[in-house]
Amino acid sequence: MPLPAGTIEALLQRRVVFVVGKGGTGRTTVAAAIALLAGRAGKRVLAVDVEATGHLAAALGQRFAEFRPRVLQPNVSGIELRAEESFQEYLGLYFKVPRLARLTPLSRVFDFIATGVPGPRDMLVVGKIAYEERRRDQGRPAWDLIVVDSAASGHSVSHLGAAKAMLTLVRGGVIRNQVQWIDDLVRDPQRSTCVVTALPEEMPVVEAVELRQRLRSEVGVDVGAAVLNRVMLMNTTPAQRSLVTALLDEQHAEAVRSRLGGNPQPFDDALELCRRLHERSEQHERQLRHAFREPVLQVPLMTTKPGLATTRAVAAALSGRAA
Amino acid sequence: MTVAGRKPRPAPVAGENMFALGRRLGTLDVVVCCGSGGVGKTTVSAALALSIAASHDRKVLVLTVDPARRLATALGVSIGADPVLLPRARLRRAGIPQQGEVWAAMLDMKLAWDRLIERAAPDRRTAQRILRNRFYERISDSFVGSHEYAAMETLYELHEAGEYDCIVVDTPPSRNALDFLDAPSRLSDYVGARLLSWLAGPSGFGLRAVNFAATPFLRIADRLLGGEVLQEVSDFVRQLQQLYGGVQQRARDVYRLLRSPRVGFVVVSTLEPGPFKEAEFFAGKLRDYAMPLRSVVVNRVLPDSLSSREAAAAATTLVDDASVVGWLRRHLDLHVTPETVRSTGRTFLTFNALAQRDEAQLQRLSRFSQAPVTRIPLFTDDLSQLEGLARIAALL
Repeated sequence: MPLPAGTIEALLQRRVVFVVGKGGTGRTTVAAAIALLAGRAGKRVLAVDVEATGHLAAALGQRFAEFRPRVLQPNVSGIELRAEESFQEYLGLYFKVPRLARLTPLSRVFDFIATGVPGPRDMLVVGKIAYEERRRDQGRPAWDLIVVDSAASGHSVSHLGAAKAMLTLVRGGVIRNQVQWIDDLVRDPQRSTCVVTALPEEMPVVEAVELRQRLRSEVGVDVGAAVLNRVMLMNTTPAQRSLVTALLDEQHAEAVRSRLGGNPQPFDDALELCRRLHERSEQHERQLRHAFREPVLQVPLMTTKPGLATTRAVAAALSGRAA
Repeated sequence: MTVAGRKPRPAPVAGENMFALGRRLGTLDVVVCCGSGGVGKTTVSAALALSIAASHDRKVLVLTVDPARRLATALGVSIGADPVLLPRARLRRAGIPQQGEVWAAMLDMKLAWDRLIERAAPDRRTAQRILRNRFYERISDSFVGSHEYAAMETLYELHEAGEYDCIVVDTPPSRNALDFLDAPSRLSDYVGARLLSWLAGPSGFGLRAVNFAATPFLRIADRLLGGEVLQEVSDFVRQLQQLYGGVQQRARDVYRLLRSPRVGFVVVSTLEPGPFKEAEFFAGKLRDYAMPLRSVVVNRVLPDSLSSREAAAAATTLVDDASVVGWLRRHLDLHVTPETVRSTGRTFLTFNALAQRDEAQLQRLSRFSQAPVTRIPLFTDDLSQLEGLARIAALL
């Protein structure tokens, strides 16, 4: 399976990479792996955990991340988005509202706006990311690349489309300009792109294809690549089958068992399962490639738990190097 | 899809345990299936409904949240907001004989919200004003937990209407599988927040009656959004406020329903670390809410044989012991390459690692939940969707 040359490199050229996909498709690990690769390439990277679940920090080998950037790996810092803190920061930055005055009833007003009135909560997510993209540190951009572990499929469309939607609601006020530049950033294919994660199973592939469509048509954001996770790259060969048939032959059962130090009976099940999963992986990969014009990267099924070791193995797979 | 001319295989006989879960849960009025996304919850919900109707002469409705395309294509029906009867002859041929009936419907979020507004508004005019507000248009999909709320709302209405004997609900895949439990109270808190009265201004005059310069918030809000938007928000808020009584009452009713002994919860999970953790958390949360967990359905379990430690030892020999190649050639008269020997061992060890993880998770499961566990094996053969559904239904 040839890897599209330079796919990862092309992704790392952008300013913001949004990793999006249905829950359970390996979004967090892929975001962490892209951040690791960018960090290794010498970029200053900010990894953003939109849902503040702590999983992104864990995938980068740390126990937690906060709203303030915290170094997670060499060159890689991480933050967890929290709507309230984003809002406080926003008020402080643009309206010089002192912290004390921000307590009540403003925080209750905030609760209302953030959880109810459509838009603002999503705006705070994408606004904070856009703010970090713009932020300068000693005369140069604070980050070379921002990698975002987005919310689950539907929500990520709302997040990315928030600025566009807001522009139709807000016709004036300070916010109009701010929303405009956020929208410009999100929809500029030179600066922002999305990586869609999927699994080699029926519904996850269908949903990844739909998500790609929604991102492109509803939001107008660039889609740079798809990542197919948990692919069964191993296949069963005829030689393996003959070997297992010979091992399971009644005639030699005793000798084989004592030489190998165990009963190889279940090998048969493993080879069969491997063959079927491989076949299924290939079939879904073809489906995904058919629908995506963008490169499709494959990550093999891992038996390890999520964590830094797994992230490193995923990074190796994404960059086309053996783990 | 069944290929023309090919006889559909009957569902595998699961012996006495066939439809066991359906038999056990089928006397309830409501079965809520929860779990994180991607674990096959929609399929399990549908299969459970089939299993219930296979063992009880009841009218069962499965309410799905996702467009249940698999289910729809498998049965050759289209599933929308209005319940459709799943074709009995087709189900019987697939090996799921039905004593009762299974109907399927999909949650219509917009409809659920519109009906909530219509019901809770004091009069038609208020309802119409809210429904036409452009903030409302987006609220149904951006309000946190709006899916969850709509699901509970629809469930409640269907249950009250009493047209179905048993309703199986497939809950929305949310970041937190529990959001739907909190949704009713969150909505009523939201609509009832004192803040809203404050925002809406005294005696219903709205923000126009308030001096914008008077409070720092309004000054900021005005600069932020422009007065026009602020006015619209305040109108919207004032209208929403009139829903408070109705919404609060409904939240109480929904909780009462979910706690009733006529309702049961089923947690669906795979044994992968993420979903499994969520399932564990969920079981704990149900305890906190005093809502009964009736069963755990574990999906995509690997065959037991793969977790064998003895076989793992044999596979390790194939991978690590280079001299085994010569032995195989001599004793089994086998022309085999070292690479074939090693890769065969590696393939087994890969599945062995996964199967051992499954085994450990299953043991963990018995520690956090006393509820009976139903295992559904990982199916990898080329089943038609209907055959797959039939197999799962038989196991439930």
